[in-house]
Amino acid sequence: MKIQMTNQGDVSVVELEGELDFHSSPELRSRLGELASKQAPKILIDLKKVGYMDSSGIATFVEAFQKTKRYHGRLILADLTPAVRGIFEIAKLESIFEIATDQDEAMNRFAGKN
Amino acid sequence: MEKVFELESNAEILIDLRKDLRDLLRQAGWDGKSMDKIVLSVDEALTNVIRHAYAGVRGPIRMTFRDSEEKTEITIEDHGKKFDPTLVPEPKLPREEPGGLGVHLIRTIMDELIYDKNFLEGNRLRMIKRKPRK
Repeated sequence: MKIQMTNQGDVSVVELEGELDFHSSPELRSRLGELASKQAPKILIDLKKVGYMDSSGIATFVEAFQKTKRYHGRLILADLTPAVRGIFEIAKLESIFEIATDQDEAMNRFAGKN
Repeated sequence: MEKVFELESNAEILIDLRKDLRDLLRQAGWDGKSMDKIVLSVDEALTNVIRHAYAGVRGPIRMTFRDSEEKTEITIEDHGKKFDPTLVPEPKLPREEPGGLGVHLIRTIMDELIYDKNFLEGNRLRMIKRKPRK
């Protein structure tokens, strides 16, 4: 899995590419943990290029979400592929996470435009 | 159609195995969405073997894929510590703590999840998905 991290203003943008499973999730967990330890105020995770995710991926996002919530940070997941959306639906996690259609919508939400 | 995979409990095998499984499910006539879900169930079951039965230690896993007109059946056997996923309680959803969702995903997706208590050398789990009537 490729993990690319950039900053756009005060937003930490995490772009993922590949399959997120029990093998690849520990690295992502560690990278998101670094952001949380720096108390990154706004984290955008772009899932446009993630064609597969299992419960290890979900656990990684739940943990990151809980950590950011603790310091009043905000985490938005953007551009979920159908396979990834399917697992969120089965796990009924759409009500827990903030999910945006794409990066632009997520950025607008961070900027308070909608 | 039947295919047997002799595997080693190592998380690195999962990505290639998913690819092989998608090919088999496609040949078995499953549509894309169903295929993704069945692959997810098998992945979760194998992850449980790697995490719980072998607890990170390398060990053999045998996976048998069987397909007929009525159903697709996947059997996973290992020689690790006993782990019966059918005894894992249903989680309260939505779950706000990490973990505990793998078995729930398998139960939701597959029609039958059978743990063979008579398999003494380790664990044998059968997962069955019945095909929609034509």
